[in-house]
Amino acid sequence: MTTKRPEAVAAIAGQMRSAVSRRRLLQVAGIGSAAMVAAACGTGSDDSAGGEASASAAEDKSDTEMVVNWSNWPLYLDVNEDTGEYTSLVAFEEATGIDVTYTEDVNDNNEFFAKVRTQLEQGQDIGRDLVVLTDWMAALWIQSGFAQKLDKALIPNSGNIIPRLAEVSFDKPRDYTMPWQSGFAGLGYNVPALQSAMGKDALTSLDELFDPSLKGRITLLSEMRDTMGCILAWKGYDPSNFTDAQFEEAIAALTEQVDSGQVRQVTGNDYIAAMESGDVIAVIGWSGDVIALGEDFGFSLPESGGTLWTDNMLIPALAQHKKNAELVINHYYDPTVAAEVAAYVNYICPVEGAQAEMEKIDPDLATDEYIFPSSAMLDRAYVFMELTPEQNESYSRLFEKAIGN
Amino acid sequence: MAAVLPSAGKQSQVSAQRKSRTGYFLLLPGMTWLAIFFAIPFVTLFMTSLQAPVAGKSGQYVPAFQVSNYPDALAEYWPQFLRSFLYAGIATGLALLIAYPLAYFIAFKVGRWRALMLVLVIAPSFASFLLRTYAWKTILSDEGFITSFFNALHLLPDDRILNTSIAVVAGLTYNFLPFMILPLYAALEKIDPRLLEASNDLYASAFTTFRKITWPLSLPGVVAGTLLTFIPAAGDYINSELLGSTQDRMIGNVIQTNFIEFRDYPTASALSFVLMAVILVMVFTYIRRAGTEDLV
Amino acid sequence: MANEGTHNVEDLHLTNLTKKFGEVAAVDDLTLTIPAGSFFALLGASGCGKTTTLRMVAGLEEPTSGSIHIGQQDITNLRAFQRPVNTVFQSYALFPHLDIFENVAFGLRRRKVKNVDAAVNSMLELVELAPMARRKPTQLSGGQQQRVAVARALINEPDVLLLDEPLGALDLKLRRQMQIELKRIQTEVGTTFVHVTHDQEEAMTMADTVAVMNSGRIEQMGHPADIYELPKTAFVANFLGQANLFAGARTGTSSDSIDVVANGINFRVLSTRNSAPGDEVIVGIRPEKMTILDLHDKDTIPSGHNMLEGRVIDVSYAGVSTQYLVETQWGQKVTVFEQNVLVGDRSSVGDPVVLHWSPDHTFGLAGGETVLADTAQILAVGA
Repeated sequence: MTTKRPEAVAAIAGQMRSAVSRRRLLQVAGIGSAAMVAAACGTGSDDSAGGEASASAAEDKSDTEMVVNWSNWPLYLDVNEDTGEYTSLVAFEEATGIDVTYTEDVNDNNEFFAKVRTQLEQGQDIGRDLVVLTDWMAALWIQSGFAQKLDKALIPNSGNIIPRLAEVSFDKPRDYTMPWQSGFAGLGYNVPALQSAMGKDALTSLDELFDPSLKGRITLLSEMRDTMGCILAWKGYDPSNFTDAQFEEAIAALTEQVDSGQVRQVTGNDYIAAMESGDVIAVIGWSGDVIALGEDFGFSLPESGGTLWTDNMLIPALAQHKKNAELVINHYYDPTVAAEVAAYVNYICPVEGAQAEMEKIDPDLATDEYIFPSSAMLDRAYVFMELTPEQNESYSRLFEKAIGN
Repeated sequence: MAAVLPSAGKQSQVSAQRKSRTGYFLLLPGMTWLAIFFAIPFVTLFMTSLQAPVAGKSGQYVPAFQVSNYPDALAEYWPQFLRSFLYAGIATGLALLIAYPLAYFIAFKVGRWRALMLVLVIAPSFASFLLRTYAWKTILSDEGFITSFFNALHLLPDDRILNTSIAVVAGLTYNFLPFMILPLYAALEKIDPRLLEASNDLYASAFTTFRKITWPLSLPGVVAGTLLTFIPAAGDYINSELLGSTQDRMIGNVIQTNFIEFRDYPTASALSFVLMAVILVMVFTYIRRAGTEDLV
Repeated sequence: MANEGTHNVEDLHLTNLTKKFGEVAAVDDLTLTIPAGSFFALLGASGCGKTTTLRMVAGLEEPTSGSIHIGQQDITNLRAFQRPVNTVFQSYALFPHLDIFENVAFGLRRRKVKNVDAAVNSMLELVELAPMARRKPTQLSGGQQQRVAVARALINEPDVLLLDEPLGALDLKLRRQMQIELKRIQTEVGTTFVHVTHDQEEAMTMADTVAVMNSGRIEQMGHPADIYELPKTAFVANFLGQANLFAGARTGTSSDSIDVVANGINFRVLSTRNSAPGDEVIVGIRPEKMTILDLHDKDTIPSGHNMLEGRVIDVSYAGVSTQYLVETQWGQKVTVFEQNVLVGDRSSVGDPVVLHWSPDHTFGLAGGETVLADTAQILAVGA
């Protein structure tokens, strides 16, 4: 069976404490392979991107080959810690007879894209039938014609999507994508350490995060949209709709905190380990990660607001087993299955009816605002503005320069 | 090869030519290897570094001869360049200070435990580079005994080691230490102990013997070790990423960011090329200075 | 510091010198005086302790007990670099990173001697290597390297120069040449040379005094000719040149000689040439001291000569001499060298012959069959 986690991944995951969600694994781990394609990327073909290109489909071998290849982020699917099997995936395999090759090889949106970009541009199959990408990267794939339209007839459960996610700007009627999980970026903190450093039990604003008493003991996320979304909101701007000048002002605020030594480090997934060791007291971090750390740790959406992001399932161009992939999507839009996954990963569940199912699994989680958020909470959570490729590049440059790159 | 003497007859000229042709054929596998693993990537990298962006299309580049990529990249990133060489230089110096006595000890003092000692030196390399560096995060943690010890002595400007330049340099030193120890050991082990006896016999004390005999004879190992340590250390980004702060970014981090975040392949390539060129120049100057050509 | 100021050559004294490696004594209670200015050879098979003795004198090995003096000065506890002693190493141990000039200058520079250049140049003249001054050791031939090694040691004007198998790595012809060369240099500088070798011919050619070492002890010491003509032990008789030995028992004693019967044959040994204290005596004779005669000519043998009958089993002609192998009635093989003075009329294989020699050349040694067997074994292993 292919639904067991590979030994190596299991070992690393074990080392870093299990039961934490997907952004935990270091993004640098995959960079070596990304660099391998450096030379090959030299001449970017210039006819593929721009506008909404329709993706090419390959002959669907789903009926003859009962397999599907799925790439997801690490620790983003319910695992039976005793057997190492993905419980919900085993159920799918037993029900359909389809063998799922589940690979946790998406560690970073950019890095994963760098790995498969050449093949996509040259019109080759990337060997994956289903991938999970964050909104803005999913948008880039749709625009570039690297995603295939979903056959909703094969996904009857797609109607279970929660209304708020049913339409997104980059994929209006959800033709290409279905959300996997959503999450907040906001304030995470170590409660006892916070208590001794500044006499508080919780952080509620970025003003507190940038308080001198936490100098050198806070980290920010290297994911630009999450860090800058929180700072833009803190500065009183709308992260879903802002101007260049507003962004630059937010960058100046960030630079000030970085240069003063207030910010210890800007990291990908590393902040969790740093919080656990006590080196870092407070962070801008991801909800599911922080919550999974346990009682001594707290997460809050800042008063000024945080960001809301979604990771989406999509089918790459020329995927060989499109139909099987659609069956997988359908399986995870079954409220019972969705509740099982949500109970494990602690992120926002995109499936209507899962909350009712969660009552049966764990009543406490059914009322958890970070899995099933209230509308009051969602009012303070911004989806980051959709950027043109040019904006994306110039904002990224400003951001990376501010954090030392 | 196969030079033809003026007096040689026609027949021998023909056979000499055939011989020289055979010689070239024998070179073929080596040349192919070089072409595949060195020349082609090298040329591709160079050509990429001169590409120009396509207007209005981010992440798209066309072949061009945009030499300005180089000064632009340098103007933007010279602090990271300097920092890389500074950190790598300090780490190399520290590695030499640690590795030399250790290699000396293994080569001359441990006798039959040599093999075991060498295995112990290399053993950490069996674990992933990444995991080893992660381990240092724990070791250098604010609450760890090392940081507490130095803090008790009030030796740390930021009251911490992790996420400072000290941690980055320490990480570089640790991670590349085997590359220093092994060539040093190889060089020291080759020294005939009778040379040391001869020096001793010729009125040189142990210290003078080290200065006049052991050290000069180990120079090839010192040169190889410092190069093998300095070169990867200068291009490394993991130690800075995991152990440093935003103030400790090195050129490797910048190349990575340009490559993956910005998809700015020309800048990333130009930076790689400059890094390569600078290291090459330094290596040649260094080797010439060290005067090891006739030693090796 | 050692060896500064005027250079007075003094005797080297080893007193009760012992070196043990674990339980094994490599050098066993050795007491020895090496006269100043002599060319002294320590001769022995490998493992006999000669190199260990040398290394103790050099300071490279610490004695387990005993002392080493040069004149009145006790150097036992001085470090190698503090001793007025220099060594020519077996493999020369030239410093590969220094040129010839600097190799030779090494000791002077360490002692901060002035006028290094002049001293080195004249030393290089002495060993005839002046043109090679700026070459590296690897660019020199074996013989040249050997001379550099000598020069490098000698330039320090040591009280004692130690040579550890200095010619071992050279081919035969070069070795002969260097033997003469070394002897010339020694005569010229007058320094005490202590030369360790396993080559008895080398020792005899060069040394004024030879000490034969075996199992950590000195078996016999003296002028090469004296030792050769009158060995005092079976080991020396065999190790230094060749000897035919017959184990027997004393049967009678006269005023100036004793009678020994070995294998039923009576031999006469002069009392002055007998070193056996008891009745067990080994009778010895060098091969070239014997004369070989056809058995028919037995009556021409001068009276009083020792004689032995046998049958020729091998003849090898070697130009100046012929070597015969003669088997005695009891099966022992006896070697005889005969100068090729006469033309023709040589014995051939199968001929019955009689060997005879004068008692003046016969020597008597302590021991019996077992000593002979032991000696043969040591030589077989040691060689």
